[in-house]
Amino acid sequence: MIAPTLSPASTGGPILRCSNVRKSFGANEVLRGISFEIPAGSVLTIIGASGSGKSTLLRCLNHLEQPTSGEVYLDGEPMGVRIKPNGTRVPDKAANIARKRAQIGMVFQQFNLWPHMTALQNVTEALIQVKGLDRAKAADLGRNTLAKVNLLEKADDYPARLSGGQQQRVAIARALAMAPKVMLFDEATSSLDPELTGEVLEVMRQLAQEGMTMVVVTHEMGFAREVSDRVIFLHEGQIDQDGTPEEVFVKPTSERCRRFLSSALS
Amino acid sequence: MIDNFNRFVIPNLDLLAHGLWVTVRICAVAFAMAVAMGAAACVIRLYVPGVRYLAIGYIEFSRATPIIVQLLWVNYVWPELFGFPQSVEWAGIIALAIQSSGYLAETFRSGIEGLPRGQIEASMAVGMSRSRTFRRIVAPQVLLVMAPSIVNQLAVVVKASTLVSVIAIPDLMYDALKIVNQWFEPIEVLTSVAVIYILTIFSLSAIAKRIADYFREKYGLAAYA
Ligand SMILES: Nc1ncnc2c1ncn2[C@@H]1O[C@H](COP(=O)(O)OP(=O)(O)OP(=O)(O)O)[C@@H](O)[C@H]1O
Ligand SMILES: [Mg+2]
Repeated sequence: MIAPTLSPASTGGPILRCSNVRKSFGANEVLRGISFEIPAGSVLTIIGASGSGKSTLLRCLNHLEQPTSGEVYLDGEPMGVRIKPNGTRVPDKAANIARKRAQIGMVFQQFNLWPHMTALQNVTEALIQVKGLDRAKAADLGRNTLAKVNLLEKADDYPARLSGGQQQRVAIARALAMAPKVMLFDEATSSLDPELTGEVLEVMRQLAQEGMTMVVVTHEMGFAREVSDRVIFLHEGQIDQDGTPEEVFVKPTSERCRRFLSSALS
Repeated sequence: MIDNFNRFVIPNLDLLAHGLWVTVRICAVAFAMAVAMGAAACVIRLYVPGVRYLAIGYIEFSRATPIIVQLLWVNYVWPELFGFPQSVEWAGIIALAIQSSGYLAETFRSGIEGLPRGQIEASMAVGMSRSRTFRRIVAPQVLLVMAPSIVNQLAVVVKASTLVSVIAIPDLMYDALKIVNQWFEPIEVLTSVAVIYILTIFSLSAIAKRIADYFREKYGLAAYA
């Protein structure tokens, strides 16, 4: 049995579209007009120096942060705002935002598993609480998804008993089980010991091959080059370089991007 | 000594046992109320902007007032003001509950605020609402992480309960003093009572420590207790 990784048919347009997104924290403008589209089944990688706004951008995509202005569209529908019949835009209800968030998987640098739940319970929690599956169905789906990340035998272990790499794979399974339209990875391997990054990257690579739409923030340049359809180099909240992995990694036109890459690769 | 023990303690075992039962009853009810009131005060303080200052005022008041003042105040002033409590036992229970609820509210709050923010974000990210996140992710962990502190607070209630004898509640301490005043032989009776309290408090602390160790081992949780 294969866990569903691809979600219900989408409208055919881009899965995610970001339109002139800006985000300020007080006087500090962290995102300064970001626009891009992510076609279904493609992998977008975001690279950039620390503090350039990568995490903030990902968090705006699922509205963990509310953009100060600009819009994010999930499968054609605006996130976080409702357009009234007369055309005016009003903030959407929390329940609607949550419903859309459930269609966006997110994987964090710190895993953020819930320590009071077993690996399986971490995966089934939202299936039961958000999707309303009954326990047996959720457990079935949960086990299938854990099997996909090669952790079936750890289903009943608590996170405290798992290695970092295993915890991160459970976190991926937790997001994946929801059959999201797109998955966001925020430096999923950055807090892992070097010998554990491989197993997590392997799972991500497999997802990409299966056609999962992904937005990946990473410092693993080799991996980015290998799996990405498109790479964006972020500098101080703006897209400084944007193109295929070939264009960005091999012949970047931006001097800043070139410098960033040479320091990141050394 | 053995002789006095046989004369003053053994014949009064019934009385002491009854006193112990009153102490247990008062502590149990007061503690249960304190947990409920503390949780309510904490939730209001953190999540209900309009009346959060009422909760803060209550918490500060309950922690800043000496237990003996609260006991006398609830016992003598409340019936005049509010028409209850109607018995000294309830007055004692309410006073103990008020005092502990303030401490428990702060215990719960530090548990909630100590929870790594990322866990809440992970919950929001899978589409859980704020209230569901609180019920499923935050509250259970706070109870687990804070369980040892909560049990220790029960030990504090037991200690504080020795003061309810001043409003004539016949608890263990009260009965012990009654026997002492009858024979003016304090050594054996008071020592026996001290031993009972010491054993109770020690076992509660031991339980708290076992719980902490178990949860740390199982969930890696007490790390941010
Ligand atoms: N909640 C917040 N409140 C205030 N400032 C914030 C907040 N979140 C992020 N920032 C600021 O926004 C800027 C961008 O942060 P962000 O985390 O998006 O960077 P990043 O590119 O992900 O960096 P890193 O590679 O270190 O993870 C930083 O200057 C940071 O201090
Ligand atoms: Mg970041």
